[in-house]
Amino acid sequence: MPEGVIRAGPDEWEIPVGYVPGMRVPGKFFLSDALAAILEPGAVQQLANVATLPGIVRYSLGMPDLHWGYGFPIGGVAAFSLDEGVISPGGVGFDINCGVRLFMTPLVRSDIKKPRELLDSLYHAVPTGVGAKSSAKLTPAALSAMMEKGARWAVAAGYGLERDLVRCEEGGAMKQADIRAVSAKARARGIPQGGTLGSGNHFLELQEVSEIYDEAAAAAFGLVKGRVCCMIHCGSRGLGHQVCTDHLKVIEEATKKYHIPLPDRQLACAPAGSPEGTAYFGAMAAAANYAWANRQMILHAARREFVRMSGIEYESMPLVYDVAHNVAKIEEHTVEGHRARLLVHRKGATRSFGPGAPDLPGDLDAIGQPVIIPGSMGTSSYVLKGTATAMERTFGSTCHGSGRVMSRSQAKKKLSGKEVSDRLLSQGIIVRAPNEAAIADEAPEVYKPSSEVVQVVHDAGLSTLVARLSPIGVIKG
Amino acid sequence: MSYEELSHTADVKIRARAPTLDALFGEAFQALMQVMYGEDRGGGTSRTLDINAPDLESLICDFLSEALYVSEVDGLVFRQADVHLDGMQLYAILDGEPFDPARHKGTEVKGISYSGMSIQRDAKGYMLDILFDV
Repeated sequence: MPEGVIRAGPDEWEIPVGYVPGMRVPGKFFLSDALAAILEPGAVQQLANVATLPGIVRYSLGMPDLHWGYGFPIGGVAAFSLDEGVISPGGVGFDINCGVRLFMTPLVRSDIKKPRELLDSLYHAVPTGVGAKSSAKLTPAALSAMMEKGARWAVAAGYGLERDLVRCEEGGAMKQADIRAVSAKARARGIPQGGTLGSGNHFLELQEVSEIYDEAAAAAFGLVKGRVCCMIHCGSRGLGHQVCTDHLKVIEEATKKYHIPLPDRQLACAPAGSPEGTAYFGAMAAAANYAWANRQMILHAARREFVRMSGIEYESMPLVYDVAHNVAKIEEHTVEGHRARLLVHRKGATRSFGPGAPDLPGDLDAIGQPVIIPGSMGTSSYVLKGTATAMERTFGSTCHGSGRVMSRSQAKKKLSGKEVSDRLLSQGIIVRAPNEAAIADEAPEVYKPSSEVVQVVHDAGLSTLVARLSPIGVIKG
Repeated sequence: MSYEELSHTADVKIRARAPTLDALFGEAFQALMQVMYGEDRGGGTSRTLDINAPDLESLICDFLSEALYVSEVDGLVFRQADVHLDGMQLYAILDGEPFDPARHKGTEVKGISYSGMSIQRDAKGYMLDILFDV
């Protein structure tokens, strides 16, 4: 652990004010000793840098999957006052509303007689990888509606069920979307990519509910041991990347205009209420809505393949939940005994709203929201539930995944895609990808163990374990 | 003239060297295309870019961001770029071919980052470190 960082509990660390000049609040992060041993020092520096930003409230927070990112660390959470605080594209990332959704099927593993054929059919139904184009022909008007209404647009257009919207963070759409702030370039990238998975760490995975830790929550979420489910991980595609690129330029200028001193150029930010900050927030919300619609379209395509290949009913595949893990939102939290509306940035962090929090589906009000944590390829994923502790300590936030430990260049040198897919196959896991390099890039050993990350948030009470999901087959983008 | 991939945990970090700034920008462009589409890239179709920016770092970031955009929207995979700088004004002719999923295999780049970016000059010319967010 870098010098100056203080241990504040078994899995808890504090970066005192003064660690870097200009810190307004301390930094706090959650790591076990095993995870602390592989922490990049740069991530601690970044957490401390975020603490210098105007209007930051209480702490600059890091989740146990903390690692070095663009300006803000990945696994970072920072809340800002709406009056005195800032908004920063670096606190959200290029892939706006990258997120995860999970749906159940009525099948058990032995019902799937031909898993490879099912995976192949899903692979062909969901455009995957670099350059993949959507089969949906979006008109400019449809794209606008998609950005304004998110998953609501998708359901109204026939991509799913009304009930899906209830089981989706924000009901699948942020109302602050301002499509006027989305450039023609971003739109041009968005038109051909509706319903596409993308590449890199994005995936669609067939899984089995292999262990239940919390019977009551599992029942409320619709998780049944032994049942097959399907997880979709992707974001706002080229449209969201372009929104980030476009607005970074504007926000860079705004940083100078409003005389905001920064320790790092990548923390470029603008006052939350400034024209530049408001424009970014509106465009970011529009891109977030595109991402929710995108995941809804993929859900629809996947359900149709299950219907075709397994003969089950479309309506028999309920959505468990959909979470965003790269987004900024206006939320109400209690700070020093007072309720305050804050601009919460989560970058590689998941909302973890506990019982009684706003925006929960009625039937989950007493339980807390489902928190979906994808594992790396070939390792378990987890469902957890949001907690009151997260509401009190981390602005209702928890981890988002496992985090890389090996670079792509190292992975390619050390591993071949064929070796990795053969090894996974020997464990009963089928891998489908556009090419072999994409498989080596995302091999299980390039990530921190997801079980370790999840155990830390469980022990700290930032979200608690509900179920473990084991992979059956994975489509890598 | 050359470029190499440096080790970076989450993203792709590139170090490029060239005797002139024009060539340095061309190397960075080739590195971007290599990451996105692999080595097998042909020519025959061209696009031109005309960009200006307040400083050199912004200029390379904007140039590569624009190249990324044109590649994705026009469905083109570029072999190389012929770059001319005049102060903070950039003019480039990109040479490429239509995207072919059977041949062009790589990783999507989400954005060009200022993170760890540096452009240095020494006796041999210029050296650039740049990060592609993937």
